[in-house]
Amino acid sequence: MVKTTTEIWEDEWIPSACSICYNQCGIKVHRVNGVVVKIEGNPDSALGMGRLCPRGLAGIQMLYDPHRVNHPLRRTNPEKGIGVDPQWERISWDEALDIITERLSKIRQDNPHKLLFSGCVPSIAPLFVGLGVWRAAYGTANAFLSDGHQCGNAEHLLAGTLHAATTTNPDLAYCNYLLIFGCHVGFSGYYAYTTMAQRMAEARSRGMRVVVVDPMMNTAAEKADEWLPLLPGSDGALALAMLNLLLNEYGIYDAPYLREHTNATYLIGEDGLYVRDGASGKPIVWDAVSSMPRVFDDPLLKEPALEGSHKVGGQWVRTAFDMLRDSVREWTPEAAAAVTTLPADTIRRIAREFGEAARIGSTIVIDGKELPYRPAAVIYFKGAHGHDNAWGTSLAIELLAEVVGASNVPGSLMGCNPVNFGHPDTGMPHYQPTVDKDGMLVPGLWFGMSQPGTTPPPFPPRDPRKPRFLNLIDLVPWPISTFLPVITNTQPESFGIDYKAEALVNYGSNLVMSLGNPETTVNAFKDLFTVCINLWVDETAEALADIVLPDTCYLERLDPVPVWYHHHHPVGMGDWTCQIRQPIVPPAHERRHFSEVLLDLANRLDFLPDFQVMLNLFYGLKPPYALDPEAEYTWEEICDRIYKGWFGEKRGLEWFKEHGVLNWKKQVEEAYWKPFTHARGPIYFEWIEEKGRKIKKIVDELGLEDWDMSTFKALPHWRPCQALQPREGYDLQAIYYRVPFHTFSMTYENPWLDEVSRLTEPYSYFISINTETARRKGIKDGDEVWVESADAGRVRGQVKVVEGVHPQVVGIAHNGGHWARGMPFAKGKGVFFNALLALDLKHTDMVSFTMDCDARVKVYKT
Amino acid sequence: MAIWEDPFQKLSEDLKTTLRPQREWVAGRGLFLLLGHFLSGAGAGTWLFSIYYGLAAGLMLSLGVVALGGVAHLLFLGRFGRAWRIVRQPHKSWISRGLLSMALFLVCGTAYLLLERIGAVSGALGGVLLLLSLVGMAGILLYKGFVYAVSRAIPFWNTPLLPALYIAYGVRGGAAILLVAAALGVGGVELSSLEFIKLWVVVSSAVLVLIYLAGMSSSGVASRRSVSQLLGLRGSASLAFYLGVMLLGLVVPIGMGLFSHYGTVLPWVLGLVGVSSLIGDFYVKYCVARAGIYLPLSGEFPAR
Amino acid sequence: MRYVMVIDLKRCIGCYGCQIACKSENATPPGVFWARVLKQEAGKFPNVRRSSLPLLCMHCQDPACQQVCPTGATTKSDNGIVEVDSDECVGCRYCMMACPYGARYFNAKERSYFGQGLNEYEKVGYPNHPTGVVGKCDFCRHRLEKKLEPACVANCMARARYFGDVDDPNSEVSHLIREKRGQQLHPELGTDPSVYYLPA
Repeated sequence: MVKTTTEIWEDEWIPSACSICYNQCGIKVHRVNGVVVKIEGNPDSALGMGRLCPRGLAGIQMLYDPHRVNHPLRRTNPEKGIGVDPQWERISWDEALDIITERLSKIRQDNPHKLLFSGCVPSIAPLFVGLGVWRAAYGTANAFLSDGHQCGNAEHLLAGTLHAATTTNPDLAYCNYLLIFGCHVGFSGYYAYTTMAQRMAEARSRGMRVVVVDPMMNTAAEKADEWLPLLPGSDGALALAMLNLLLNEYGIYDAPYLREHTNATYLIGEDGLYVRDGASGKPIVWDAVSSMPRVFDDPLLKEPALEGSHKVGGQWVRTAFDMLRDSVREWTPEAAAAVTTLPADTIRRIAREFGEAARIGSTIVIDGKELPYRPAAVIYFKGAHGHDNAWGTSLAIELLAEVVGASNVPGSLMGCNPVNFGHPDTGMPHYQPTVDKDGMLVPGLWFGMSQPGTTPPPFPPRDPRKPRFLNLIDLVPWPISTFLPVITNTQPESFGIDYKAEALVNYGSNLVMSLGNPETTVNAFKDLFTVCINLWVDETAEALADIVLPDTCYLERLDPVPVWYHHHHPVGMGDWTCQIRQPIVPPAHERRHFSEVLLDLANRLDFLPDFQVMLNLFYGLKPPYALDPEAEYTWEEICDRIYKGWFGEKRGLEWFKEHGVLNWKKQVEEAYWKPFTHARGPIYFEWIEEKGRKIKKIVDELGLEDWDMSTFKALPHWRPCQALQPREGYDLQAIYYRVPFHTFSMTYENPWLDEVSRLTEPYSYFISINTETARRKGIKDGDEVWVESADAGRVRGQVKVVEGVHPQVVGIAHNGGHWARGMPFAKGKGVFFNALLALDLKHTDMVSFTMDCDARVKVYKT
Repeated sequence: MAIWEDPFQKLSEDLKTTLRPQREWVAGRGLFLLLGHFLSGAGAGTWLFSIYYGLAAGLMLSLGVVALGGVAHLLFLGRFGRAWRIVRQPHKSWISRGLLSMALFLVCGTAYLLLERIGAVSGALGGVLLLLSLVGMAGILLYKGFVYAVSRAIPFWNTPLLPALYIAYGVRGGAAILLVAAALGVGGVELSSLEFIKLWVVVSSAVLVLIYLAGMSSSGVASRRSVSQLLGLRGSASLAFYLGVMLLGLVVPIGMGLFSHYGTVLPWVLGLVGVSSLIGDFYVKYCVARAGIYLPLSGEFPAR
Repeated sequence: MRYVMVIDLKRCIGCYGCQIACKSENATPPGVFWARVLKQEAGKFPNVRRSSLPLLCMHCQDPACQQVCPTGATTKSDNGIVEVDSDECVGCRYCMMACPYGARYFNAKERSYFGQGLNEYEKVGYPNHPTGVVGKCDFCRHRLEKKLEPACVANCMARARYFGDVDDPNSEVSHLIREKRGQQLHPELGTDPSVYYLPA
């Protein structure tokens, strides 16, 4: 780029890692005369393989955004709220940290749970030093991810239980038929985006068929071979009908897989729970050869029966598989057609295509190992599971993969990298799933970088307890994140909690905009002493913060291994990559790296030893590299120990600063681990049934009327989400969708990305309404309209009349419409979708704490 | 869009449209270019009639108007100081040809006028200068239409009718200027025959406009959109078209022309008619530029 | 030697990565897109098609822009690259009227993205974009000189872009154009573009 004639005294390419979304792709940054002039993908990194998405390429304009917050600020106006001018006063770092220390110290002595800790995933490395390590050392359980409804709670729960992973991705290297439910894998922001985009192109180029189920003709549907526009929240009905067709009409299912790798043969009693052996307590199956019940792992077991009812211990019991088959029978294609608006014939055809594409019984040899070959994958995300019927819907979709055996084998739906044997020299990082006494799959690592990690996996589930935590993760102890403090903090007593939060530390998240209706959020948190650490004085800082601390952006800071081996790597074969994120330029002004601030605060709050012990657990550090709890380290020294602890004395921080990435080959036993284990994934979630009953008891005792227990079921099921239910006067459903050039609401402040939306892309800053619907309402292209939610607020925006959206749906991209003074560039751009979302229990799936991310609305001209 | 608005915003927003209008040659400083086209054309037309009628004042006026047009051209340029470079490519670029024509016309015309002042115009030199000035004049009348007509990117412009139309309007503009001048008492020549010629040209212009629009509305999608910009009630140039081109530029001149043919019209009324047709002349240029829509960049690539 | 770019519309996912890759490589000012993507919709619900058409200068072998340029600022090199010499351009924008591909931009005045003077990056990049003249894609000539592919090609996430010498019958681009029926945009205009599209 540099063609100018100025003297060039420095011209360097520095390896690092992106952080403009949660994917952390490998980058190389070009620095000339101390200025970042270009960001490219790092071809040496398996995370992107030299390619970047538009957001990553545009990172320069985040670094040099003149609207960034540059020094600590203190609110002088005691009034808080949306639109209130906080009357910021510039203070020094010492003053700021003194104020914070004083408040947090008091709270910690009193009850540490009175501190809420929230954050958002794009700055994932420092976030987890905060959320996973510092928070735990401080001693509060009240953490929540305030990417809010954007997160995939139900999917994460199923990824953990069926795939031993945090997330899922299809194996595009071998897949021939991809069925996408409300997701943009390989087309837009999704796990391992930059690599998956390359694989997607390759797969489509060689003829993989893509079917996209989505109310909106978005990036994925644009490229799909077939687009199935259904009503939002009805995905589960479609999946159930497909299950019914596969199991009951076409007889397409993978019996050997179901016998061996699921609990399909486990016998279920009349109480809905496993029938267990009296002595060992282990689940019982029916031996079809000897016609008698046996423990599932009995060496004498010849052939566990997949079907049939049997009399065991005086009661009639049935296989889980039979229960599943029966439970989906009501879902005829016609029944699903009535709910989804898709033609029944199409549903029949898609089910058959998918079932046949799975090539049940076939195998493939990879790296000399013969593996089951199931080149048909399903994948789903927010569009499908972002509803208050999340659990039943997600389970139905997942079971499509399970019944045809297309799970964690070549070509299928895969958990994202649940097995990691580590670098060949050191065996680090390391994690792999285990098997519990019932034969079920247990993730090797849930939250953390290497075993043991700091957070237990969702399975085996802990027992529900009467809530003590505002995020209710003791009452429902498996969702990965929760927005519930927004609800509980205003009325803790109704949840049996005897305190209110007093402080909020909010890192890198704009929770006033990201959770849902902003008034609800502000109302819940306005009395809290709030510290925001962010790049801008955003809506949350403006409405809530007492102190704002200037964060570094990813081009200004050092993050050791900013890679989550789980979901940042693509699935299937390939390389493992360990990266570094290093400062390309020193932090300008008084910006400081959050991890260093946390270290400083742990010291000031006198829990540095606990913090360092937690760091050891999180990063799996062992002597001699484990941190000495009593010693004091700089952040650089800690990073050096993490690298050396993982990769040996020679590969410390300096090595990584120079080389940027360390690669090693994934083994076939890592990539396609399932056939190498005896672990079973549940097709029957017995424990949801069992724990659900305990939760119900507590909920009944508390008298929580809005708490819906109807979704705590072991088998897939469907009921309409709130937004799908007819409401007088509200004739449409509003959905949000994602585009490849924005992350959440943050990138609306990036001028290059804003330009894409504003100038060269026709839809994303507008409210998409179907031509026919618009005509009926007398709305024309470009008209200003209100979209008013039946249960929350209303938003204003300009209409784009399109064909590519379901006639009963209005589509809004992401979450724009910023209003904060501190983000003047983003101000007013796009449409603030989240204002439409009610934050309450009624709109929440209580199994997974998933909110209904669409809304029942009406649309009218301003 | 306000007539003087910086086209930047709109230019950028056009990028997402399939039928993208051209704006550089019509909005913001683009108006200088249209003004230049208008003035140089009318000025050249004035020369024609002034020679024909032997109007010294007309010749002077013509030079002045063309010079003004030239200045307007230059004001439009992004780099005014490099304007001389425009003459470099007469073998292929109509803009080069136009500028050279203008230069030739201004130099020879001025020289001719000076000779005329000193009464030496009847010599061989006078003849050569007259001839060269007429060549320059013809170039000026011709080039504008061709500047537009060679652009295959904008189908609405890409027609031989456009040069014909611009020549007609240039000639008519010349007549109109002289009528205005006469009304203001400049020139002092009986112009009744001029009005007749002008009427004839106006009627032919009207016919040309109709043929042009009819032809364009039955061709491709881009030129149909162009036509609808002019004729459609919500078209971006429909007001300019109906009021400027049709009413002031054609209906008034034709009506008054017919009227003057059968009755007596006061000179100042003829002057007003001249002004009216000059406005019409400008708006023709404006409307043609405003309705310029690029060929769509799609169609031949089915999505799958 | 004739450089051509081949864009595989089947692989392209319409992510706008090329547009931003170009922006960051060439530091083009606001509103200027040497590379961009045109999204379009056709059909009626539910039989709708959306398509993405990545655009850039087509580096025509018979360039309409060069034909009309009155100063000779637009030239075609031996390697097929059509370039604008910003020292020669007077900013008449005739080339913009002639280009059927919307590839050219007039840089009317210095504009910064954040509207409060140039930021650090813009201070380095914008001197490459003199005002009052027309600019456009040059196939990243400065990268080609370093044996690098144009930025939009090197970065494409879908690996939908190929770059090479079409005069070499054995080059990848020659093969693709031949075997996958590479098409030019508006071939009827006779401009003979050097950007070929493979059907979606």
